[in-house]
Amino acid sequence: MAGGGMDEDNPVAINVTPLIDVIFCLCVFFMCSFRFKQLEGKFDTWLPKGKGNQGVSAATDILKEVRIAMFWDKDAQKTIRRMGTREVRSNEELQTLIRDSYRDLVLANNPDAPVTIDAQAAVPWNEVMTVVNICKREKIDKIEFALGAPPPQ
Amino acid sequence: MRKRKKAECGEPPMCNLIAMVDIMFLLLLFFMLGADMGRRELAELVLPKADQVKPDDKKENTTDVYTTINVHHKYPEGGFRCAVNEEGGVCRESDHWLYAIRGREYTAADIKPRLDEEAAEAMETEIDPAAGQLLSRRKVLIRADLAAPFGDVNKLIELCGSAKLYKIEVAAAQPPPEEMGK
Repeated sequence: MAGGGMDEDNPVAINVTPLIDVIFCLCVFFMCSFRFKQLEGKFDTWLPKGKGNQGVSAATDILKEVRIAMFWDKDAQKTIRRMGTREVRSNEELQTLIRDSYRDLVLANNPDAPVTIDAQAAVPWNEVMTVVNICKREKIDKIEFALGAPPPQ
Repeated sequence: MRKRKKAECGEPPMCNLIAMVDIMFLLLLFFMLGADMGRRELAELVLPKADQVKPDDKKENTTDVYTTINVHHKYPEGGFRCAVNEEGGVCRESDHWLYAIRGREYTAADIKPRLDEEAAEAMETEIDPAAGQLLSRRKVLIRADLAAPFGDVNKLIELCGSAKLYKIEVAAAQPPPEEMGK
């Protein structure tokens, strides 16, 4: 009695093998379906209530807006960005140009001027969002989308 | 004496499974809590990254009426395949890009009635003085894949505007902290 073994301490033996099997199956299911959640955010782009779709004017007054034209080069599979006649290659260059142009507009008493993103329909959304992000970095909230930039000459 | 020793050596080796069961339970708990099961309306797509996005505030969303519209490439099913998209290229076939609302897919031609329905479910009670008409108070979150054509996203925004949905938001992914500011 005094030297009793484990069988006497736990008189009811539980078979844990099915439990382990089930837990294994559950683990495999969750491991296969698992994917890390991507942190998402959003930009408010509320539409103007009273303006509607205004179309693209051919004669754009360069002192009333900052216009970034974007074209899709199908052969090179890349986007070409232009401000005025200047081709902008890097994001840093674009940010500097937007900052300088916007400062000129503010100095010309036009602080409410928008930044217009004038992109071809084929331009990837990622490229447009990059420009929106750069504008937000420069604290510019008034961003307009135009569609139908003519192909580059 | 000799007999007794033989009996002890002949006992089958016991494997203690309790530690393994504990670890398995912890693994199971981790995967169950980490699994993202709640938001089935979010389609599988890669969002563009932007470091200036506002974090998605769930508390704010509880009182708002929301519609999420995903703009994604057609999935390879039912014999459909797009070689350009599968190789990571930029597909520009207009009929390969679809809009999806709560798992149901639409094209630019047939999404307008659905947008009208969504707008009608949550109309403002008073005429908006700036617009001169009743507008919808429903917010629309556009989740467009990073390779989606701008023309399609712009068309969707235009359709939302004509359906009196003007509270538009566009989704982007927050880059990890080490990529911030690049």
